[in-house]
Amino acid sequence: MIRFGRDVRRRLKDRVMAVLALACVALALIPLGSIVYTVVVRGASVVNPEFFTQIQPIPCSPGANLTCTQGGIGNAIVGTFLLLGLSSAIAIPLGLLAGIYLAEYGKGPLVFAVRFFADVMTGLPSIVMGLFIFATFQLAFPGFVFSAIAGALALAVIIIPFVARTSEEALRLVPGSIREAALALGVPKYRVTVRVVLSSAREGIVTGALLAMARVGGETAPLLLTAGGNSFYSVRLDQPIAAMSLVIYNFATTPYANWNALAWGAALLLVVIMLGLSIAARFLLRHRFHEQRIRG
Amino acid sequence: MKDSELSIQPQKSRRGLWIVIGVIAVAIIIVVAGALTNWFGLGTSPIQLNGAGSSFAFPLMSAWSTQYNALTGVQINYQATGSGAGINAVVAKNLDFGGTDAPLNTTQHTQNPTLLTIPESLGPVTVAYNLPGLPAHINLTGPIVANIYLGVTTKWDDANITAINPGVTFPSTSIFVQYRSDSSGTTFVFTDYLSKASVQFAAQVGKGKLVAWPVGSGAPQNQGVSNAVKGQAGAIGYVELAYVVQNSMSYAKIKNAAGSYILPDLNSTAAAAASSAGSLPAGNGDWSQVSITNATGSSSYPVATFTYLLVYQELNIYPSGMTEVKAKALVDFLRWAVGNVAQTAAASLTYASLPASVVTLDVTTIRTITFNGVALLP
Repeated sequence: MIRFGRDVRRRLKDRVMAVLALACVALALIPLGSIVYTVVVRGASVVNPEFFTQIQPIPCSPGANLTCTQGGIGNAIVGTFLLLGLSSAIAIPLGLLAGIYLAEYGKGPLVFAVRFFADVMTGLPSIVMGLFIFATFQLAFPGFVFSAIAGALALAVIIIPFVARTSEEALRLVPGSIREAALALGVPKYRVTVRVVLSSAREGIVTGALLAMARVGGETAPLLLTAGGNSFYSVRLDQPIAAMSLVIYNFATTPYANWNALAWGAALLLVVIMLGLSIAARFLLRHRFHEQRIRG
Repeated sequence: MKDSELSIQPQKSRRGLWIVIGVIAVAIIIVVAGALTNWFGLGTSPIQLNGAGSSFAFPLMSAWSTQYNALTGVQINYQATGSGAGINAVVAKNLDFGGTDAPLNTTQHTQNPTLLTIPESLGPVTVAYNLPGLPAHINLTGPIVANIYLGVTTKWDDANITAINPGVTFPSTSIFVQYRSDSSGTTFVFTDYLSKASVQFAAQVGKGKLVAWPVGSGAPQNQGVSNAVKGQAGAIGYVELAYVVQNSMSYAKIKNAAGSYILPDLNSTAAAAASSAGSLPAGNGDWSQVSITNATGSSSYPVATFTYLLVYQELNIYPSGMTEVKAKALVDFLRWAVGNVAQTAAASLTYASLPASVVTLDVTTIRTITFNGVALLP
């Protein structure tokens, strides 16, 4: 009788906790759902060919005798991809090399210091990274403070520590026995690292890189100080460049309906791109765990 | 076990690789497409001039930029970074020109004596309120608004307010004071006016882009204050004219120095500028004391401001990028901006047109701009 009662109590507790946990998940998902719903509802109406190819229009004002159009954010789409591509090209190799050093070669206090500062840097507000590049350029190249290259470097310094730590973790997941087996065959250590360890950890490294890109793709504050924004198409590295996050920042706070619509459209596109990158990363991760389960 | 692991590797890694290659390929295609659309139309890389600053001037500069690009192919890239950032960027020679609502202060002018001040347009700051059922334009005076922002007047049915609004029945609700939480040229103009209207305000708060308000709550940007006022009955706030017009808000007539209650619009703003145009300094002079708030003249709206462009008198001083062609393009744009076509376009975006006397002053200033000592505008 007592045992049965305890059993019921336990089962009841289990149910209550399960419902509570589910409610918390639902609560946590409300902001995400609300954001996705709002940007789709308010942003979808401007997503047409004009949106992808045109640049910013003249603001529409009732009664004004200026011809105003919907316009588009073609220059900002190009700018965001250029910034993302350039910063990844700079930062991912550097971050990966740092990760390899930490996981495979490093010994002693230097490793501790590199890892510690990489952790500190991933926690720093992104605007501080932007300020770092802004100040560096202000001292060294004052003519290029507002330029695509400064923007890409600002994003790169955000990516580097992130990639260093994720690739280190990915490399550590490779079992030591694999390294030992390769070394026992007489393969030199650098070849073991490149051919065996790196290729085994490839999914983890790619996942980390994709998440890093998703993280910086929507950055606004560091770009305000570096990329500067551009109302026209520009792919020159020494000139200011447009970015979708800057379009949202600039147009969302104006009183003009056609500019607000473009900001919503840009928000929708940015959410889709960043969700796509995150989902690609999750897909890769799940794929890897799936394989591990089969192996086990 | 290890055999099976190794045999899995190539298949897995290829999938990861394909995704990366795909992302990079899409990026490259888009960038190349962008580059082609940019360069095909014009054959060569177009002339681009970069500026930033006043967010008040941003819609106007954007409209001018589109029009001027269609006219000449020159790209005027202007970004809204705020007046303070605009001054800093042009002083540090990061950009070809700056935009600001507050003129250079005396220190800034002394340190940069060749930085010219060119009024490009002007606009009023409106006192917006949310009182459902009341007229769209009630009467207010500078001292009353100052008292509201000092926390002395707290109810809408205060005797001072009802006395100047005969026939209007005010509710006895509290006044919810809204101000700008960010550093802003709008706050500078508003506090400049209130400091002239009220000795107590001048002593207790003073004028500035960011001041310590004794009462109320803050919101960022004009849009933030507009939303806050729209969202709460009994609220009062100060925003630029475009925001009350586009958001269909109620805004007050303010009593001017001549004793008339004046609605902020393009004519009353231009009148305020015209009444003080005679006392403006030269383009390379000290503009720190220039203010068109509380202007004389019976039709002048008392809370108005110029917005300025800042350009160097000698343009061949940039560590990078300035050529004679670019310098000439900049000067031509400035001349166009203060001309008839651009000033008319400004009016349809609720920016007041410059009075003729200010245009004359601007043209004189623009004529002094040189490249290697040679004037660029005949």
